[in-house]
Amino acid sequence: MIDFNLIPLLPEIFLALVAMGLLIVGVGRGNEATNTVAWFSVFALAIAMIVMLGLNWDEHVVLSGMFKFDRFIGFTKLLILVGSIGALSLSVRFIKQMDMGRFEYPILVLMATIGMLLMVSANNMLALYMGLELQSLSLYVLAAFRRNSIKSAEAGIKYFVLGALSSGMLLFGISLIYGFTGSIDFTLIADTLGNLDFMPFGVIFGLVFVLAGMAFKISAAPFHMWTPDVYQGAPTSVTALFAMVPKVAAIALLIRLLYEPFGSLEEQWQQIIYFVSLLSMVVGAFAAIAQDNIKRLMAYSSIGHMGYALIGVVVASEAGISAVMLYMLIYLLMTAGVFAILMSMQRNQVSLEKISDLSGLSQNSPVLAYSMAVLMLSMAGIPPMAGFFGKLFIFQAAVEAKFYILAVLGVLASVVSAYYYLRIIKVMFFDAAVDPYDAHIPFARRVVLLISVIFVLAFILKPTLIVASAQGAAAVLFTG
Amino acid sequence: MELLVVFPPLIAFLLAFLFGKSLGDKGAQLVTCSGVIIAAISSIVLFFDVAMGGHGYTTLLAPWVTSGDFSVNWALKVDQLSVVMMCVITIVSSCVHVYSVGYMSHDDAKARFMSYLSLFTFAMLMLVTADNLLQLFFGWEGVGLASYLLIGFWNQKHSANAAAIKAFVVNRVGDFGLALGLFATFALFGSIEFTTIFEEAPEMADSVLSFFGHEFHALTLIGLLLFIGAMGKSAQLGLHTWLPDAMEGPTPVSALIHAATMVTAGVFLVARFSPLYEYAPTALIVVTVVGACTAFVAATIGLTQFDIKRVIAYSTMSQLGYMFFALGVSAYGAAMFHLMTHAFFKALLFLGAGSVIHAMSDEQDMRKMGGIYNKIPITYALMWIGSLALAGMPFFAGYYSKDIILEAAFADHSWWGEFAFWMGIAAALMTAFYSWRLLFMTFHGKPRASKKVMSHIHESPPVMLGPLFVLATGAVLAGFVFYEAFVGHHAMWHEAIKVLEANDTITAAHHVPFWVKKLPIGIGLIGIALAYLFYISKPKLPEATVKRVKPLHTLLFNKWFFDELYDAAFVKSSFKLGKLFWCTDKQVVDRFGPDGAAGTSNKIAALLSRFQSGYVFQYALVMMIAVIGLISWFVFKTGQGF
Amino acid sequence: MIVQALAFYLFAGILLMSGFMVITARNPVHSVLFLILAFFNSAGLFVLLGAEFIAMLMVIVYVGAVAVLFLFVVMMLDISFADLRKGAMQYVPIGLVVGAVLLSELIFAYGAWSFAPESVANAASPAAQFGEISNTEALGRVLYTQYAYVFQIAGLILFVAMIGAIVLTHRVRPGVRRQKVSEQHARRPEDVLEIQKVTPRTGA
Repeated sequence: MIDFNLIPLLPEIFLALVAMGLLIVGVGRGNEATNTVAWFSVFALAIAMIVMLGLNWDEHVVLSGMFKFDRFIGFTKLLILVGSIGALSLSVRFIKQMDMGRFEYPILVLMATIGMLLMVSANNMLALYMGLELQSLSLYVLAAFRRNSIKSAEAGIKYFVLGALSSGMLLFGISLIYGFTGSIDFTLIADTLGNLDFMPFGVIFGLVFVLAGMAFKISAAPFHMWTPDVYQGAPTSVTALFAMVPKVAAIALLIRLLYEPFGSLEEQWQQIIYFVSLLSMVVGAFAAIAQDNIKRLMAYSSIGHMGYALIGVVVASEAGISAVMLYMLIYLLMTAGVFAILMSMQRNQVSLEKISDLSGLSQNSPVLAYSMAVLMLSMAGIPPMAGFFGKLFIFQAAVEAKFYILAVLGVLASVVSAYYYLRIIKVMFFDAAVDPYDAHIPFARRVVLLISVIFVLAFILKPTLIVASAQGAAAVLFTG
Repeated sequence: MELLVVFPPLIAFLLAFLFGKSLGDKGAQLVTCSGVIIAAISSIVLFFDVAMGGHGYTTLLAPWVTSGDFSVNWALKVDQLSVVMMCVITIVSSCVHVYSVGYMSHDDAKARFMSYLSLFTFAMLMLVTADNLLQLFFGWEGVGLASYLLIGFWNQKHSANAAAIKAFVVNRVGDFGLALGLFATFALFGSIEFTTIFEEAPEMADSVLSFFGHEFHALTLIGLLLFIGAMGKSAQLGLHTWLPDAMEGPTPVSALIHAATMVTAGVFLVARFSPLYEYAPTALIVVTVVGACTAFVAATIGLTQFDIKRVIAYSTMSQLGYMFFALGVSAYGAAMFHLMTHAFFKALLFLGAGSVIHAMSDEQDMRKMGGIYNKIPITYALMWIGSLALAGMPFFAGYYSKDIILEAAFADHSWWGEFAFWMGIAAALMTAFYSWRLLFMTFHGKPRASKKVMSHIHESPPVMLGPLFVLATGAVLAGFVFYEAFVGHHAMWHEAIKVLEANDTITAAHHVPFWVKKLPIGIGLIGIALAYLFYISKPKLPEATVKRVKPLHTLLFNKWFFDELYDAAFVKSSFKLGKLFWCTDKQVVDRFGPDGAAGTSNKIAALLSRFQSGYVFQYALVMMIAVIGLISWFVFKTGQGF
Repeated sequence: MIVQALAFYLFAGILLMSGFMVITARNPVHSVLFLILAFFNSAGLFVLLGAEFIAMLMVIVYVGAVAVLFLFVVMMLDISFADLRKGAMQYVPIGLVVGAVLLSELIFAYGAWSFAPESVANAASPAAQFGEISNTEALGRVLYTQYAYVFQIAGLILFVAMIGAIVLTHRVRPGVRRQKVSEQHARRPEDVLEIQKVTPRTGA
């Protein structure tokens, strides 16, 4: 009756054990062990990734229907692990520099990663909620990690309070769904809802609340209000993590929710996601123009990117979903590169966050300036960078599914957003140079930046391989 | 093995370009030189493997684009044709790389220069090893880019920038043709893979394509479009104006790109598409006529120029004309043969000229040279070898290749073959004349340079002379050694080049009358004699002649007024059109378009950031309102349903 | 039956009333006390439902721990709730509107409520064995079998909560003296004791 097959959970179990073990190491040796703990965590994440690649990627549902693993989930988990590895290796030196090099940091990142892995694998509302809370709680703590900074504490509190509100909405939605169907199991909910010939209002009510909770997690407008404040307030290394990984996890979970339990509510949720996507694109495009803090700008940029990604969700086609997954991959790697540069914006060990601090960068450190230019062009979706292809696939899918208005507005929004990406390039290349940054850029940061830039530039050469794996992932949602 | 040919230059480029500073000048030079030398050795091995031994093959690197029925791969096509090109490219490139170490020794940006050279080499190799049109286009644009970067390498010089832009723009016209050709090929064959195209070409011999509402013979149309691309890259008459200006770049660049390799890409393209051109006789006639005219016109201009590099540039153009009319009469092997020998002796001439320029403290005007043959004897001797090969004197490389071209043209027994033959003979006369004019003006007579310059004249260092010797060896031996392999009775091409039975002019060329075989030598000797007469025995004669034929000289000296014509017809009018658009843009479009939109955007941005007050309860309120709004929407919709 | 109904309305009524008082009471200590009352009443509701285990949890955890903690915080921190309220008061009209709309929609949803035909069957499965065993045992049976996975995640969440609490609040203060047992044990007399001969009548 109870299926205790734990093999699909091996990566998560391994990571959890490593996290606990490392905590013991940390407690024993204190903050000198931070580096060891951090690199060991990165190493463990890499091993988890290898273990995951070795798993059987066909559909598995284990632990009395709580946990699911298939091609789509596997692809997402790979992205999550890659993102975590990137974010954590970016952090190692940074937390030292920012005087917050405590050994709990990497452990919290590990726990957040576990939470995300569990969350995308959930096949049950309860498992979903637990995974979601595990990652959220870790992230709240990380946001406030820099204790002696008021901004960081404020970011933590804001994120926590609003996150609690969104969790409340999610739970209320789940309870309504349970009230109607009598089940919290994805498969049972899907079956029950699939058999109906009309859609009762209570279910739609629940759907709205559940989606509101999820939209908060991917910071889609109008549930995005926390994003700029938290991105700005949190330490930059944490912001990098926020921008990269939870987004991927949440959007994958959203897709699974929409296609698995709520598959028969397509007509309803399309309207909701349509609205959210549209608003996110608009907010992401326009609000960023007025920003002068680059972390805030990245926050709005991520809101906009989520808007584009959601277009792919709305269209409800295989092409759309594979476009979303591809978009998330590209977004993740671009963001990693951008944050690698942002972390290197330091003078005399003080981090700089203003756009005007980039002024004349091309003269002081041309490598950083050119990398940033490449990444910004990619973010703006200018060919032949990877970002262009991400947007191209999304809009293609939208046009194929006859969502013309959404596609046109998406293109317009990306034109507007190109303004502030190009402004950064303009500041770097045409404004008068100021004092150079601290010259030393740690090795890990260089590697992340290099990988990101090479990916962005070289995507054009070999899209087929990556596209094929994204398509394979998307296909499982549609084979029924 | 083919990977060892193609990728070392790429790696060298990346290393030198990205890490130029940390590698230092010496490091960058070492990396790039060893990159191309590895490539050169590998390509020679490959040559013996493929050309002498067996058949061609294709190495699949990776899929590139797969979209519906359309699929393109990254692949390296290694057959006799590409192997010959690889050898030429990598050997000349190695020589130029090594030579540049010496030539650019006074320049500040050595690493950048070397990396561009390697980039060019890589792009050119991608071009010749392409097994589909898209990859070919990639290489094609890649060499265009490298050429642009290198022509404008001395970007502090205004003329260099102008020349770089000119080269780019003129090539764009050709590239447009090539791109259209690519589209037309895909439209006709449904594929851009060479193998597919060539296999299906015979079946498509009678099909038509409609273009601008007219029906055209499909293969002719494709052939002409591709030829427009070839004309741009290979500076054929009409699209040639960029080549002389391109001499603004450093001399090694002229030798590598604008003499030996890139400009021959057009020749390679037509040869590669021989299975297609064979079914498009009209296109071949056009190729012949354009080639013949180019050979003649370029030679006439070469007679009157004074810049040492420009003279050689016009001679390059003229020789490219030879290659094209060889292609036009289906003597693809002969064209490739001349391409190969020409690469050696023309690179030799350019690098020799570079050596002279280097010796004369960067002086390029032949009127300010003279009387230096005993000061730089080695360069002098090498220039002689190059000129002898160029003029087609017996037993030098050019003799074999140029003769077989002329013979093939004669053996075609058609009006265009005949036309090409006589134009070629006339060009040969002029070639001999201006080559020796160059030699005599540069090295003989009274020194016309200033005292200061004369006192500085020195023979180039070994690092510059070494490559010259390699090239000189090629210029002497290449014709004799490879004659049989390229154009003999049992040429090596097999399926790499396709010639219909009826068009087999190379075989026919072996049986032309005796006078046809010997005429070029005689003409060449006359040309040399005339040059001796004009510039050594009677130095007053040139001026007198110029006075006598003033209008003709003006025409030639001004390069047939091509530049002025283009300036009047295209450049000025597009400037005017541009200004008109600019005014409209400023007054109408900008005011209501971008400026207006930007203003509105800023307003919206300000509005949106007002929402972002920083108060948590306000954020929470917005979230709640959003949720309730969504629910109300559904209530409203359900209400309508009732 | 009538007793049960009466009890339900009593508990529910007091619950709603005290909930309202929590928000409106001027004195924060009163608010917390009303909150405790609300917890008690909801525990009573759970007892009526036959969920005595959850009722106990309510009393022990919420009343015993959470509410008492609240009380401590409220009493020990000097926060002027009146000032806080002032800022929020300007949003009351909008809040009321939003609340009213939400309420009416909830009523609408309640009015149009229906259960899926399968819902009873779906919900029935875990409760099959309720007849013979106690509430607590039934929960325990599923908690460690069917829901073991979620139970473990809950453990991880508590783990993170612990780390988080320590990270955010624990500070190493200089000048705090602690007992170090190992040092005390490792102490040797010769390190700390000095024997001095004191000659009588000369002073130290």
